[in-house]
Amino acid sequence: MNADQELVRRVQAGDKKAFDLLIMKYQQRIIHVITGFVHDPVEAMDVAQEAFIKAYRALPGFRGDSAFYTWLYRIAINTSKNYLTAASRRPPVTDVDAGDATIYYDAPELKEFQTPENSLMSDELQQAIHEAIQELPEDTATAIKLREFEGLSYEEIAQAMDCPIGTVRSRIFRAREAIDKQVKAVMTGGEEQQ
Amino acid sequence: MTAKQQELLSAFVDGELNQQELDELLSLMDSDENARADFLSYQFSSDVLRGYTSRSEPIDLSNRISAALESEPAHQSAKAAGEKARVLKLPDWFWKQTAGLAAAASIGALAVVGVIDQPQNSVTPELAQAQPQPQVIQQQPNVAASNRWTVGEREVEDRLNNYLVDHNEYAGASGLFSYARVVSYGEE
Repeated sequence: MNADQELVRRVQAGDKKAFDLLIMKYQQRIIHVITGFVHDPVEAMDVAQEAFIKAYRALPGFRGDSAFYTWLYRIAINTSKNYLTAASRRPPVTDVDAGDATIYYDAPELKEFQTPENSLMSDELQQAIHEAIQELPEDTATAIKLREFEGLSYEEIAQAMDCPIGTVRSRIFRAREAIDKQVKAVMTGGEEQQ
Repeated sequence: MTAKQQELLSAFVDGELNQQELDELLSLMDSDENARADFLSYQFSSDVLRGYTSRSEPIDLSNRISAALESEPAHQSAKAAGEKARVLKLPDWFWKQTAGLAAAASIGALAVVGVIDQPQNSVTPELAQAQPQPQVIQQQPNVAASNRWTVGEREVEDRLNNYLVDHNEYAGASGLFSYARVVSYGEE
């Protein structure tokens, strides 16, 4: 049982705190999906909140036939469409299949509405993260690349790098620490780099 | 916060925690605001890297959603609900008495059916011919001559008629299936 499944099981058994973790984990992605429909960032947050509340209420009926995120993604899409319909705005004609939940962001119809400032900042963040990875020791960089770009599990990375899972875990953590420093530096305009 | 705890946060970004570690994480998140901030930061970097967000900084809706869910009742698992709805165990004597009553009722019903069928089954062939039986086809040796199927193909017609003649002969002879005699193969 993976962490999501276990958290879902706990929510179904009455643990509300477990749902809080699921929100923290998926909120950026869900807001991103919804902004593709709603465009306005403030409205998108309201719709995201509604989607999470709907998900919480529907969770007892979730049997785990699909991944939790795929299920949540479908709720987010439906909530966005309902919101647009209620606001007498047409939802996008293009329908997105839940199976594409992890790759939808390439669809031009659902590109998040961005201000030029946002777009520039986002590019800067991407650049900073890639630079941070390049500066990492080779083992650490390989571990984070296999995880973030190839989507491998810790076990698969351990096999690929011929090392224990615990080592993979600490390498990925160290990489995240380094990336985090760079990201914060960009967000604060370079103040934290010193 | 210790490095070990931060490693826990990083592993949660990847969904790589076992049950015990999830317990630790839940308690850490509940007690340490820095843990929440660090996790949001790790998760945000991962989302940026994968293209799951194009925002310039992380957004945290968890507090406002949790506040909105405060009035919602906590879920109860189906298993737990099932345990509460468990039926009371009845004593063995109850089932023995119920089984006895059911057996007695079955025998009584069979006896009633037997009595109802008795006059019809005990009719002699002579009396049967004398009694008016408007809905029952009289059994005759040469049934096929007066009551026949009419089917386009001769071979099929003969076969069907043979089946019907046999059926009526056996049904009438056995006396067990009196209802079978209502079957008619004649043309209306």
